[in-house]
Amino acid sequence: MADSTNIETARPMPMTGGFSLAKGFVTIVVSTIALIVLCYVFAPSAVTAGSLMGSLPFAAVLAIVGLGQMLVVQQGGFDLSVPGGVSLAVVIATHTANGNDAMLLDAVLFAFFCALVAGVLNGLMVAVFKLNAIVATIGMNALLFGAVFAVSGGVPRITTDLLAEIAGGRSFGVPHSVFFALGILALVSFVLKKTVAGRRFEAIGANPDMARAVGLRVELYEGAAYVIAQLLYCTAGILIAGITREPTAFQGNSLLLPSVAVVVLAGVSLLGGRGFPISVVIAAFFLNQLSQFALSIGVPYSAQTIVQALALVFGIGVYSINWTGRFRKTNQSSMEEENHGNQTA
Amino acid sequence: MGTRLLSGSVAALALGAACTLGSVASAQDTPSWCGPNEATLALLDGFGGNSWRIVTAEAGRQEAERCPSITEYFYADGQGDTQRAISDINSMAARGVDALVVFGDAGPAVLPALTNAYRSGAVVVPYRVLVGGEAGTNYTRFVGASFVDDGISWGNFIKEEFPDGANILFLSGPAGNSQGLEELEGMRQVLDDSYVFLNPDPFAVTNWDPSLTQQVLSAAIAQHDDIDVIVSDFGPSLVGALPVFENFDRSIPTLVTSDGNSLGCFWTENHENNPEFDLFTIETGTDNVRLAVQWAIAEATGGEAPDAEVFISSPFENSVTSDPNSVQCREDLPGAIYLSSGVPADRQAELVGN
Repeated sequence: MADSTNIETARPMPMTGGFSLAKGFVTIVVSTIALIVLCYVFAPSAVTAGSLMGSLPFAAVLAIVGLGQMLVVQQGGFDLSVPGGVSLAVVIATHTANGNDAMLLDAVLFAFFCALVAGVLNGLMVAVFKLNAIVATIGMNALLFGAVFAVSGGVPRITTDLLAEIAGGRSFGVPHSVFFALGILALVSFVLKKTVAGRRFEAIGANPDMARAVGLRVELYEGAAYVIAQLLYCTAGILIAGITREPTAFQGNSLLLPSVAVVVLAGVSLLGGRGFPISVVIAAFFLNQLSQFALSIGVPYSAQTIVQALALVFGIGVYSINWTGRFRKTNQSSMEEENHGNQTA
Repeated sequence: MGTRLLSGSVAALALGAACTLGSVASAQDTPSWCGPNEATLALLDGFGGNSWRIVTAEAGRQEAERCPSITEYFYADGQGDTQRAISDINSMAARGVDALVVFGDAGPAVLPALTNAYRSGAVVVPYRVLVGGEAGTNYTRFVGASFVDDGISWGNFIKEEFPDGANILFLSGPAGNSQGLEELEGMRQVLDDSYVFLNPDPFAVTNWDPSLTQQVLSAAIAQHDDIDVIVSDFGPSLVGALPVFENFDRSIPTLVTSDGNSLGCFWTENHENNPEFDLFTIETGTDNVRLAVQWAIAEATGGEAPDAEVFISSPFENSVTSDPNSVQCREDLPGAIYLSSGVPADRQAELVGN
């Protein structure tokens, strides 16, 4: 519960913060660079402009979903309603608009409204009624899929031209979805690191008991994580609806595991606390590039899945090593830290 | 196959009361597989939640309607849940339904339920998906689709278009799915070693998911600058992915696949800008269920056995020769319908469009 590591790393602001941030950040950056070098050597086709144009939109979507999951993980939770949230946004954006550009705005607003409702319900269940986050969000996921069927009957529909242009188009040779991901990254980073609310959010995630003792509204912040997460899933879903011309009604299903994986790879503690938005986005690129690499060297599908699983193990491994390094440096073992280590190992 | 008796008098009557006499018209058009004994029929879907299944269910219903001996028709959707699919089969058998036509998505998991229903005296016809077991012991008859023949149709077209060999990229659904393996077998029967498959053996895995297809295709295009033909067993899932070629400043190559309205319209819009973009499709197989229903009804009502034992998809569109059809597109209707289906396009649009 009381996690001294997180409080310690949450304290330093710009300068010293840069150093403690560096470990998780550097790890993922070094891994990504290593992967790019590997690609150049063994699968040059995976890093050509055309290949990146094809795969970057999916990395961007994963980055946005990952940022949502990160906020929830920062509060010590897990959000398993990712597939439902994303899929619902996809079907609303395609079915409600029904190929008509003029209806697109209504569809998008309706999608965000649904996401807001789902997020508020998640937040209430977890933060106020103290339900287990996994149980609450898996239930919400089932509800959201009910809504997916109600809206679509499970039938895909072709996206509107306007949405295809907004989400799937390119400006200055860069896919629009990448701009969306970078914009959201900037917003999340700024709010989290430079505003009072963001600092409180991280402090509450690191130690809710302490935060409550100093008079912070713990439930509000914890609940807000689920609401913002849903809004981000919704954004990702709308982007998918534009990127994929005829998305299925179950497009979110393949995003759940990667959304957790990028959070882990970015070095965010699963016990809550500090978030690393930039690292999450880089991790999304890393994971996406890893599957492109696997595809390009032509390994069988089974091996591709194993490669991704190994990346996740690698992420968790790096996270533990990171902790051990800090552990040695302080050369003191408080009970809390030991508990922390046991739980994450 | 049906003999059109009394169609003239039906037409005259229809002037008076077209709507109410619709069923009479079909009743007088009795096909040979529809025998004299009255029976009830149930169509059991393991998963009914996509347009292909919705159209298929309608095709099954229409086929059953052609036989006046069928007094009641039931439909149940297992919603992708094996337990539910099994309990659907059990409850239909318990109700005493005479004939069950089953899309056994869960494969051998539904076999015990099918066997029980068969032993309790019902006619049981699983179709399209192998459920294991044996005809005569576990069920009445299995009505499969010949995916090998699909592969042969594709292979023949490729051979005609590229007589000196070609580089082929073959995309199918989930890893190891039997449909993809059989299609490959069919293509290999026709194509010799001068035709090279660029994908990892046996096929590139896409799970029939448009976004995974898009990622798989961009990797493949980046890797191979000489793809002559893309073969896919689910054409419409490619529609989102094909614009990827534009990123590489390359023409979309020849596409060999199954039909779908969205794909036909995509070809219509894009073939002029993509000089190498030829399209060949086979019927997507929403009428496979008709043959299964015919067999079930023949067995249950004492009708004549249908001629075919296996459903074979015929070629549908050919952009090069327009034989049997040129590429079809109905812009005014949803993309997720199948113009090759025996269910009229407008009816499909009603069903699919909610």
